[in-house]
Amino acid sequence: MRKVLPLILIVICLGASFVTLDFLPEIGDPSSKPNTHTTDYYIEHATTETNAANMVTAVIVDYRAFDTMYETTVMFIAGVAVVLILASHPERKNRIRFRKVRKKESRDGKPVYRTINKEVVIPLIEPMIMLYAIYVLFHGEISLGGGFQAGALLGMTYILDVMVIPERDSLIRLPKDKSTALGGIGTFIYVLTGILCMAGGGVFLEYEKLPIPMHALEKHSTGMLLVEVGVAICVMATIITILNGIMERVHFDDDTD
Amino acid sequence: MKNLPAYIVLLPLCSALLSLALSKIHKHLGRDVVFGALVGSLVLSVVQLVRVIQNGPIHYIFGGYKIPYGIEFSVDTINAVIVIMVCMLGVLSCMFAFNFDKNGDALQVGGAYTMHALLVLGMVGMTMTGDVFNLYVFLEITSLTAYCLIAMGGSRGIVSAFRYLLVGTVAATFYLLGVGILYSVTGTLNMSDMAACLKQGNNDSAMLMAMMFLISAFGIKMALFPFHGWQPSAYTHAHTGARPLIAGAMGKIPAYAMFRYLYCIYGKDFKYFRYVLLIIGVISVCGMIYGSVRAMAQKDIRKVLAYSSVAQIGYISLGFAIGSPLALAGAFLHMLGHAFMKGGLFFAAGAISWKYGTFDLNDFGRIYKRMPFTAGLLTVGALSMIGIPPTVGFFSKWYLACGAAQTHEYVYIFVLVLSSLLNAVYFFKVIEKVFVQADKNRKPLHPEGKGVTEAPITIMIPVVTCILMILLLGVFNVKVIDILLISLKGVAL
Repeated sequence: MRKVLPLILIVICLGASFVTLDFLPEIGDPSSKPNTHTTDYYIEHATTETNAANMVTAVIVDYRAFDTMYETTVMFIAGVAVVLILASHPERKNRIRFRKVRKKESRDGKPVYRTINKEVVIPLIEPMIMLYAIYVLFHGEISLGGGFQAGALLGMTYILDVMVIPERDSLIRLPKDKSTALGGIGTFIYVLTGILCMAGGGVFLEYEKLPIPMHALEKHSTGMLLVEVGVAICVMATIITILNGIMERVHFDDDTD
Repeated sequence: MKNLPAYIVLLPLCSALLSLALSKIHKHLGRDVVFGALVGSLVLSVVQLVRVIQNGPIHYIFGGYKIPYGIEFSVDTINAVIVIMVCMLGVLSCMFAFNFDKNGDALQVGGAYTMHALLVLGMVGMTMTGDVFNLYVFLEITSLTAYCLIAMGGSRGIVSAFRYLLVGTVAATFYLLGVGILYSVTGTLNMSDMAACLKQGNNDSAMLMAMMFLISAFGIKMALFPFHGWQPSAYTHAHTGARPLIAGAMGKIPAYAMFRYLYCIYGKDFKYFRYVLLIIGVISVCGMIYGSVRAMAQKDIRKVLAYSSVAQIGYISLGFAIGSPLALAGAFLHMLGHAFMKGGLFFAAGAISWKYGTFDLNDFGRIYKRMPFTAGLLTVGALSMIGIPPTVGFFSKWYLACGAAQTHEYVYIFVLVLSSLLNAVYFFKVIEKVFVQADKNRKPLHPEGKGVTEAPITIMIPVVTCILMILLLGVFNVKVIDILLISLKGVAL
């Protein structure tokens, strides 16, 4: 009975998915409610009200910036949860092992990989990725891009550095306690932007009331930029945190403990 | 103070975000900041309730845009009261959790309080928001932090959290499907605007479909009877410091969201409204009986309380199913009362486990000699669950029965009485263990003297507050009902 009942339910649900829902509007119907009720307003006013050429950015970080703030918080929660639950540093024999990939060893026991010279190539690529990330971050409101993508690129740079050349001393090391704290601070920059608007006499996230001497539309751009910077830092820190959490559960050839 | 609703959500958010960074300076600094922020939220939420009673509902739009385009917080007397309840439980259980973080390092301690503050924030946001997608975002925050806090309760906690994660994800998807269908026929995400749009058009079949998805989504989240599978193990194995908050408040907020959809967005003009109410009524009646019967068979006090929650959530949804103003007010009074009853019983169980490390009912023999206040809370909470005056449990059931009598739903009154009798069976068992059963050789975890040795003050403050709240809500029930009825008059049947 315990097994039959769920099966029956699954069959009913699968059957239900073949039923045509005739009340749903056709795809792309220009006269349907979603395409007329609020969408017109966004299309007509987004650029003039928010000074952002990219309408998607205008909706995400201006009209509905409050939602995005919590979506960023969700990213932060994901990072903290990984650290709290996964990164408990299990005993060496309980860690996940990968099959050895080394084909042959040189005489002193070190593995020999037949690849390009990674010490030269990676330091060349990294600055370009980071530069591109900054470009994506600052152009989010004009063209494609934004904080999430920039943060992912920045996090990827760190992962590349740690994974490919683990023996090199990096300029910045972010162990799990620092990376989680950085994620919180990134989201806090976002919140702080909204609080600054309240300090200027407006409501939360009302960019026009930012207490800086600028034109109202420029304030919108500044507010969006601050918000995107916060999102980028949070996403970068979360990606690094998740990497840290996983690294502690994996067995490496050169583990000492 | 025009930003009052924003401050209530921003204080826990800021403290949670900075908690980990502050914990690097000193291990307990982040924890103290979180506690201070929660107290601040509690004070502001009381101020908010006073303002709502004096000046009418507050509508606060983020970003300063016009209503369907920006995100709105709309606060009336009902959700102002619920916000106070959530903040109060948040403060109490944060204080309670001080005793259970001795072993962790700075990262574990800071992280746990981050999750705690974010759970309170998610529930407060879900209660106050006036935007259907914003509600989803807060639902996500509530669920994620709850998964994490449950998983922090040890290896069994991880399994229960994983089960809850799978089921909870289905609930979130159902919610989005429901919202998607409603959006396809209205084109708006604002609740009041959506209600206006739904009244104009003829979309009964779409609304019925969406409502089925929404009932399943909120049913899973509030552990209503056929959807409750994740709940007993999750409540049992959650992190001890967070258990009162999870068990006390987390199930109530989706119930309030369901009320919002049923009565504020759909309204009584909806063609199939009666049938929807009938479905909710039937599943709550089944849940009231089933939860009580299962609770009788348990030995672990956490399991008893968890199954009893399945039954008690049924009372709240039964109030929604009856639908008259008195029944709705009774449901909300039960929501408030049950938060303090269940939270309080978990505080008491936590205090006993702090001292003796046991949750087994058979080890509770004559514990009143050692811990009189804790035993008092167990008794008052149990009497309130059964429904003995002057506790709040009696009055909430009284209003529910009055509402059912007004609409001539006598079956509901019968089930209400039957379920209360079943409650009496297993809660008198608890009282018997506490007062009558022979004293067992309990081994104290901490050194203790002779005679009365209660748990530390940070555990005793929540315990005493819960006793007082259960009695005060019962004695001043007319006042609370009056406050609730201000907003209920317009929407009830």
